[in-house]
Amino acid sequence: MDNAQLIAVLASIVLQASPLIIAVCGEILTERSGVVNLSLDGSMLMSAMTGFLVGMKTDNVWLGFAAAAVVGMIFAAIVALGSIRLNQSQVAIGFVLTLLGDDLSAFMGQNYTRMRGVIVPHYGIPLLKDIPVVGKIFFDQDIVVYFAMALIAATWWWLNRTQPGLKLRGSGERPQAAFARGIDVNRQRYIYTLLGGALVGIAGAAYSLNVKIGWSDGHIRGMGWIALAIVIFGGWSPIRGAFGAVLFGATKALATVLQRAFPEVSVVAFNSLPWILMIFVLLAVGSDYTERFINAMPQGWQRPLRRILRVSPPMALGTPFHEG
Amino acid sequence: MVDVFIKYPRLGRLFDLALPLLATLAALGVGAIMLQLLGANPIKAYGALLNGAFGSTNAVADTIVRATPLLLVALGICIAFRAGVINIGGEGQLVAGAILATLIGLKMPDAPGIVIIPLALIAGFVGGAIWGGIPGVLKAYYNVNEILSTIMLNIIAVQGMNYLLRGPMIDPAQMEVSSRIPQTARLAQAFDLPRWVPTRLHLGALIAVILAFLVYILLWRTTVGYRIRAVGLNPEASRYAGIRVRRNIVLALLLSGAFAGLAGAVQVYGVHHRMFTDGSLAGFTGSAGFNGIVAALFGKLNPIGAIPASFIFGALIVGANSLQRAMQVPAALITALNGLVVVFVVSSDIFSRRLARSRQIGAEASAAETGTNIKPDIGAGSKPAPTGNVPAEAPPALNAEGEASK
Repeated sequence: MDNAQLIAVLASIVLQASPLIIAVCGEILTERSGVVNLSLDGSMLMSAMTGFLVGMKTDNVWLGFAAAAVVGMIFAAIVALGSIRLNQSQVAIGFVLTLLGDDLSAFMGQNYTRMRGVIVPHYGIPLLKDIPVVGKIFFDQDIVVYFAMALIAATWWWLNRTQPGLKLRGSGERPQAAFARGIDVNRQRYIYTLLGGALVGIAGAAYSLNVKIGWSDGHIRGMGWIALAIVIFGGWSPIRGAFGAVLFGATKALATVLQRAFPEVSVVAFNSLPWILMIFVLLAVGSDYTERFINAMPQGWQRPLRRILRVSPPMALGTPFHEG
Repeated sequence: MVDVFIKYPRLGRLFDLALPLLATLAALGVGAIMLQLLGANPIKAYGALLNGAFGSTNAVADTIVRATPLLLVALGICIAFRAGVINIGGEGQLVAGAILATLIGLKMPDAPGIVIIPLALIAGFVGGAIWGGIPGVLKAYYNVNEILSTIMLNIIAVQGMNYLLRGPMIDPAQMEVSSRIPQTARLAQAFDLPRWVPTRLHLGALIAVILAFLVYILLWRTTVGYRIRAVGLNPEASRYAGIRVRRNIVLALLLSGAFAGLAGAVQVYGVHHRMFTDGSLAGFTGSAGFNGIVAALFGKLNPIGAIPASFIFGALIVGANSLQRAMQVPAALITALNGLVVVFVVSSDIFSRRLARSRQIGAEASAAETGTNIKPDIGAGSKPAPTGNVPAEAPPALNAEGEASK
């Protein structure tokens, strides 16, 4: 493989990772406020279908994205309403919605499978794209990819460097304390569940309009679950999450390359590879042995190592909040 | 309305019982609107659905056959969810059980059926237990979120199934022809589960119902079940009480997977008599691994409640097929309808809980006025110790994602 090919592969990994990054950032915002939106797989399928359909009918990509965002918000609204207002199990609601989205998208999109639709135009950023190597990989893409990159930074900045971000984290970590400081916890949760849902919807459309163009039954089934896994792997941090998304894309690309190199080994082994790796990664970040390993390290290293290797979920994740 | 229930507590309890039914009707009402929008007459459509599900002895038998794997999976889900573990890997566990059970039948084609059938069912049980035990160990000892690990094991299971059915386990007859349909040879006739001729109803249904009662006894009448439920309700308190939390989490997932695996074995020996794949999990399982979760939730995570719940879903699935044939309505609509039913039933739960609370508050208020003592069983609001007779509420750990129960 020569350099040009390698750069092309890396660029495609970045492209492939962009919808996952958007979905992961959305879900991080939701979960950091204390709500689990487990419906990602269903809502992404549903929004991918809607985005494709609306884009095709109106001949406008951006209307497709807008419609997809609305669909994502509707799913998120059901999760929020069910868990915050009706006090239901977030897991049960999310899971049922996953199945519902899967079936409903198959049902509503059945007449539009394998059709040509609109696609996001390619747009290389002038100047930046001429940087050798890096420019080709990151800046010779399209607007959705740039949006995903900007979103990583924006989410991180919003969470860690702004007043509203502090309120958001307070609602997810110590809702009682946040409430005592005058924050309307449930309102925060509504806002960020809806915002996260909109981003998840955009992620779905990013698949059907940009990365895996078109629509077919069960088009991107499984990607929602991957996004949820990456949120955990990323320790609820957008930067680590983006890293996880790229890593996942890289293992998939690696599997393709390895398969070409070793045609005698069964396809199954390579197809399962990303998933098995994912389990091992989750195993590594959660295990007690990792903790022991960190404790065995010199004092100065422990803090940074812990930040890289360990994750801890928002304290109040998935638990309903009642005032007073 | 609440006042009426305070006056007549029995009426309130009756209302609680009727609520899932009302919710189902409401969901069907929404479905009727969807049918109308599609240009189909809802009354005719539901007529076709009912006829398809219950219209003849054969139809009822088919309904029960479809409900059997749902019930078996649901039993496992009851155990897992009661322990506070969210097992979404029913599909993969079902396939793992089916593969192991099929292997038994393929390796010993000449053995008598009376030996092979129990052996195969046990193999299914073990296969599912292995596939369920992996996420159990990962969760208990390595803090891996079980929702994610079970989902990933589903995907690994489908890869493994496709590999086995296209290679090592493929029907030798299919190797000869060019089409090479990925399926195993038909298992010997002697291994078919006994069935009630001329219908397709087989012994598996009876096994599932008996197991439902056994699981009920396990969960509410034995120490093992008590520990499992205690871990689900409050892992911290259980730890202080000397219950080995980790071991019980593994046990719950082992059992949960085992029942799904048994469902796989029953499907192979009772229905298909071989394994086949269309590349996806749902091709073989018919999404029983997922629908079983829905049935369990519908039955309020009570093994006995899962029996009618699975039956209703079996009826919806069988009825949907005939509805599709009669009215040219896509069957996907019915799967969407299934989802609606569950959403409605799950959310109806809150109304009964809220009613119970206001009933209790109202009763206390009126008792305070008249100065009389209220009996403890005035409403469902004051609940006696968790004997399974009362539809007990889901463990609180269910509300949280996996880690929260640590």
